[in-house]
Amino acid sequence: MILRLLLFLWIAAAMLGGFLWAPLVPVLGDSTRVLYFHIPSAWNTVLALGWSMLHSIQYLRTRRLGHDDQAAAAAELGVLFCIVAAVSGSLWAKAQWGSYWNWDPRETSIFFLLLIYGAYLALRSAIEGEEKRARLAAVYSVVAFVTVPFLIFVVPRLYATLHPSPILPQRGEGRAMDPRIRICFFAMLVGFTALFFWILSLKVRLVRFERRALSESAARS
Amino acid sequence: MPPNGSNSAAAVWAILRKECRSEWRTRYGLNAALLFAVATLTGVSFAVGRLPDRTDLLAALLWVVLLFAALASLAHAFVREVEGHTLTLLRLVASPTAIALGKLLFNLLFLAVLEVVTVPLFLVLMGGPPVRWGPFLLILGLGSLALASTTTLVGAVVSQTRGRGALFAAVSLPLLMVVLAAGVSGLRAQWDGNPVTTEARLLAAYAAVVLGASVLLYDHLWED
Amino acid sequence: MSAAAVVVDALAVEALGLEHLYTGRRGLPALSFALQAPGVVAVTGPNGSGKSTLLRLLAGLLQPTAGRSLVTLAGREVPPAERRAVLGFASPELAFYEELSCLENLAFAAEARGARDRAARASAALERVGLGARARDRVAALSSGMTQRLRLAFALLLRPPLLLLDEPGSHLDEEGRTLVERIVDEEARAGLVVIATNESREWGLAAQRIELRGRGLGHPA
Repeated sequence: MILRLLLFLWIAAAMLGGFLWAPLVPVLGDSTRVLYFHIPSAWNTVLALGWSMLHSIQYLRTRRLGHDDQAAAAAELGVLFCIVAAVSGSLWAKAQWGSYWNWDPRETSIFFLLLIYGAYLALRSAIEGEEKRARLAAVYSVVAFVTVPFLIFVVPRLYATLHPSPILPQRGEGRAMDPRIRICFFAMLVGFTALFFWILSLKVRLVRFERRALSESAARS
Repeated sequence: MPPNGSNSAAAVWAILRKECRSEWRTRYGLNAALLFAVATLTGVSFAVGRLPDRTDLLAALLWVVLLFAALASLAHAFVREVEGHTLTLLRLVASPTAIALGKLLFNLLFLAVLEVVTVPLFLVLMGGPPVRWGPFLLILGLGSLALASTTTLVGAVVSQTRGRGALFAAVSLPLLMVVLAAGVSGLRAQWDGNPVTTEARLLAAYAAVVLGASVLLYDHLWED
Repeated sequence: MSAAAVVVDALAVEALGLEHLYTGRRGLPALSFALQAPGVVAVTGPNGSGKSTLLRLLAGLLQPTAGRSLVTLAGREVPPAERRAVLGFASPELAFYEELSCLENLAFAAEARGARDRAARASAALERVGLGARARDRVAALSSGMTQRLRLAFALLLRPPLLLLDEPGSHLDEEGRTLVERIVDEEARAGLVVIATNESREWGLAAQRIELRGRGLGHPA
């Protein structure tokens, strides 16, 4: 209970600090503030992906459903943060460079991540039977895991060389300079990470309750 | 003394021959795929006309046609087994890896037949600058390998779910973006007279990675 | 005594706490036993008690959720992944390739298992179950009784030391059931035959019996 309150206060303080206390980055102007939740969201997306895939591998090795619960919950959260990152990034792009979507390397990467998450969740929803769903979803997760480096690092560069953009995004330039910005930014990063794990634990507990309720009612019938 | 059950090479070859024979007997898979590819191609050609100098569009359209045809047809090697309930039989005569390899080789063959018909037709209908056959075939070949290895694995997964064609496409597509990007870039490069080494390496690396992961994953695929 | 009656060197099948329980589904509660070739063993129990599951576990088609099964031949353990080399399996849901003939189906099976004289073996197996005349007919054209005979031919194809037969008499007429009895009798001289069945006529063939007392369908615990 206390921890939840602390987390709320922490994030609130960091946000307020970012909006009111820290200065603006010269080149970004008012839109500086986006980086306080855009980049932490993107970080959470990547964190969620890694967490989900790790637990998928663990499921295949140990066959304990707890790992699948973690993988599925993390994936669902990952989609959420992915959408937040994509939308906030898009708005930022519009404010900065005049167009909502430019297929620059980072936008491309986020888009591919969204596709992978979507595919994973679509696959899960098409399978009945917990163990079968866990197993097949884990297999897909591992395949995605090995292709993600290609999607995130190589392909966007390929696109960038094919279509060099006249607009040169300069994200984060100057971000590291002012210590006040840095404080708020890292505080948000920590806060978001804590948020992710907190919601994740809630989701996993929910799944466990549901499973226990189901098996108890089955035993009674 | 019963023969060695894990004689994988024999199993792979047997499965490949069986697939070919089954396909030849029913033929609906290949017919549908060819029809689909030619129909897509016709639609594209009709809408766009000839593109003598737009190498970027040519490369993209060719891969899109091939991709669509592949997505419409390459899952059915596994779907047929699931719908015919013959997976038990298959698993009793061959290891999961042998099954996967046999199906992969079949899908490659299938794709090759598809391309032998579609690619020349495409070049004839769409025009375009002269093809540098070495790089062209290299990119096409590596891209097909990458395409087949991904769709075989995904097909094995999706065939066991309630979803079918649309789910197969949705689940394959994120992974296939790599093939699409490198394939398009590579074909465009060979038309523009540039080297295709980057794209070729990328496709080869991707195919190797997917095949490597497959070898580890196929044992987990059929456990019911 | 014919050469075929040479006793197979020490084939043994053991179950050690073997269990297969998926959430929300009936399965096989923990089971332990030890069997030795030659002979016939019947697995009996109400519908849903796990007879088919047990056979699939022994065949390596299913992974146990707890415990394990052990198959040893000539002093060497046969891990689940390699069991197909030493056993023949027939069950009601075993299906064949409808567009291929009986002979082609069995020849394919023999070829995949590495047998050199596949056509000869396939023909011999078909003759043995009385399908010699239908060898070149497509499986799609077979009646349910003939399909069941084909399943038996498949199980016998490579003269395995371990035979797992799930309801071998299903769909068979009087002549067919006599055939099953004869086959079981012949194979049990040298190898181990495990029959899962509810037919008293079939379990009468067995010297040993494993009785599964599962909850069955519609019976409260």
